[in-house]
Amino acid sequence: MKNFSKILLIFTVGLIILWQLPWGYNFLTSKTERPPFTMYSTVVNDFVTMKHGEASLMHYGQKGDKYTQSQFDSILPAFYVRQLVADGRFPEKINNVEVAPREVQLGNFNFKSLPTDINTPKVGLYQLMESMSGRVNLKMPKDVFRLTKNGIEFIDMLSNSVDVSKSDEYTKMLLKKGVVFPILEISGNPTTRKEYDEGFLLLDNNRKLFHLKMTQSLPYVRHISLPKDVKLNHIFITEFANRKTLAFMTDVNNSFYVLTKKGYKVEKVGIPSFDPRKDALTIFGNMFDWTVIVDSENGRDYYAINSEDYSLIDRMPYMFSNDDIWSKIGKYIIPLHISFTDYFDNYIFPRVKFNL
Amino acid sequence: MIKAIFYKEWLKVRWFYFVANVALLSFTIYSILKISRVIKIKGVEHLWEVMLYRDAIFIDMLKYVPLIIGILLAVVQFIPEMNKKCLKLTLHLPCSNMKMVMSMVLSGFVILVASFSVSLITLKIFLSNHFAGELQSQVIMTSLPWYIAGILSYFLVSWVCLEPTWKRRVVNLIISAIVLKIFFFSSKPQAYNDFLPWLMIYSISALTLSWLSVIRFKAGKQD
Repeated sequence: MKNFSKILLIFTVGLIILWQLPWGYNFLTSKTERPPFTMYSTVVNDFVTMKHGEASLMHYGQKGDKYTQSQFDSILPAFYVRQLVADGRFPEKINNVEVAPREVQLGNFNFKSLPTDINTPKVGLYQLMESMSGRVNLKMPKDVFRLTKNGIEFIDMLSNSVDVSKSDEYTKMLLKKGVVFPILEISGNPTTRKEYDEGFLLLDNNRKLFHLKMTQSLPYVRHISLPKDVKLNHIFITEFANRKTLAFMTDVNNSFYVLTKKGYKVEKVGIPSFDPRKDALTIFGNMFDWTVIVDSENGRDYYAINSEDYSLIDRMPYMFSNDDIWSKIGKYIIPLHISFTDYFDNYIFPRVKFNL
Repeated sequence: MIKAIFYKEWLKVRWFYFVANVALLSFTIYSILKISRVIKIKGVEHLWEVMLYRDAIFIDMLKYVPLIIGILLAVVQFIPEMNKKCLKLTLHLPCSNMKMVMSMVLSGFVILVASFSVSLITLKIFLSNHFAGELQSQVIMTSLPWYIAGILSYFLVSWVCLEPTWKRRVVNLIISAIVLKIFFFSSKPQAYNDFLPWLMIYSISALTLSWLSVIRFKAGKQD
């Protein structure tokens, strides 16, 4: 007993040292570097940056051009559409295409995926909204559903009981359309703060993709054909106002795809890799191009993507300054440390990390 | 003899047990009433949605109650023991010292488990009437680290209280505070799920730490 208590105490003290000392060192020495705001400009065909200088804001392109704030608005007309309209400076044509401000606004979208969105505890209950109610405003349903090993189960929230007939109806339809349970991945966005509803996308046990909606209280299930050799891993339903895309998807090789709303086409996006479990992805999209920002272990990469064919227009890596003397020293003073939290997930458990 | 030790400990803490139970049950019932009130005003569907999309569990006010109960139980049980020099007498009884000390700490553990179980069972019964199993689990699993922290805090504070020297008491107290911090890192529902078995094993193992303090006490360590 005495030995066991001593070992436990030594273990506890060791754990505290490996956890608190590195934490304290990082707390005192770490500097956070925030990359400046950068977007691809379809007007000047260059990545343009807005950065806080010593005295004022600096606006510049990667080719060396400098801009005033007003010029910066003009070279990013889709992003600053409201400002340009307010100033009466909104152009009649962008890239030789006649555009109206409303049209540009409809084409704009923002998308963000963080590793913590994926690596997080999930409840396993979802809400299937009515996609074709005939009303303009969307309404939250009175039930939720869970996916079981053999089907789908709707639970009435008021009575907290399974709606057997609805569950059977939807399970039968899913099985009829070829869904193999259990479902590996599901993505939906049940909220009334959107313009339309596309229900859920499901990845079945054979990694086949299906679209599930409720239209006029009836199940709508459709199998979506995937290109050969594409094994999907993650799905992100989009439901953007432009109604052009249905979802973003990644496969087991971390390739990034767009699922178009029209014709359910799967198109590969021209970024080399995006692993939703480890990388953060931000997209500022407009009707001409997308600025895609991928934050990974290797740093940050900016990509300009053509919004028509999703091909790569340009790429710009952003290097974080690696010359912090304290972090270099720290690696030798503290070769390993224990932490209970991580940037990549929302779980609490101890993880040993080697700094060298 | 062991039965007598359990009875002695029960006599020492019975009033505290009653007060702690009332306090914990009051907080539990207040949380339940709060949820019931929202159900009445906004409907149960609203609550389901808030729990699903906003990570709400509605029993946040219970968070530190088990921890405080664990700390106070150790204080109530062992501070008078040390001040009145009763421990010295206990250790002279014709029974294994280790068995007696462990019985003293175990009796507190049993009292805590009984008290926490009542709170958890009350919560579970209420939740099962209104929410699906997944949402019940979300609430119970999120609150489990708080209850385990209550048990660990009892063992750690017992270890501190039984320690004969002040210098070491302060060190033990600092170690205890840092270890207990682990249980309150995240308010994200079910963030501790995978870690819970290890926390449970560590917490129960911490029962043995009190024996280290008693060994030092027997060795005559003094300030």
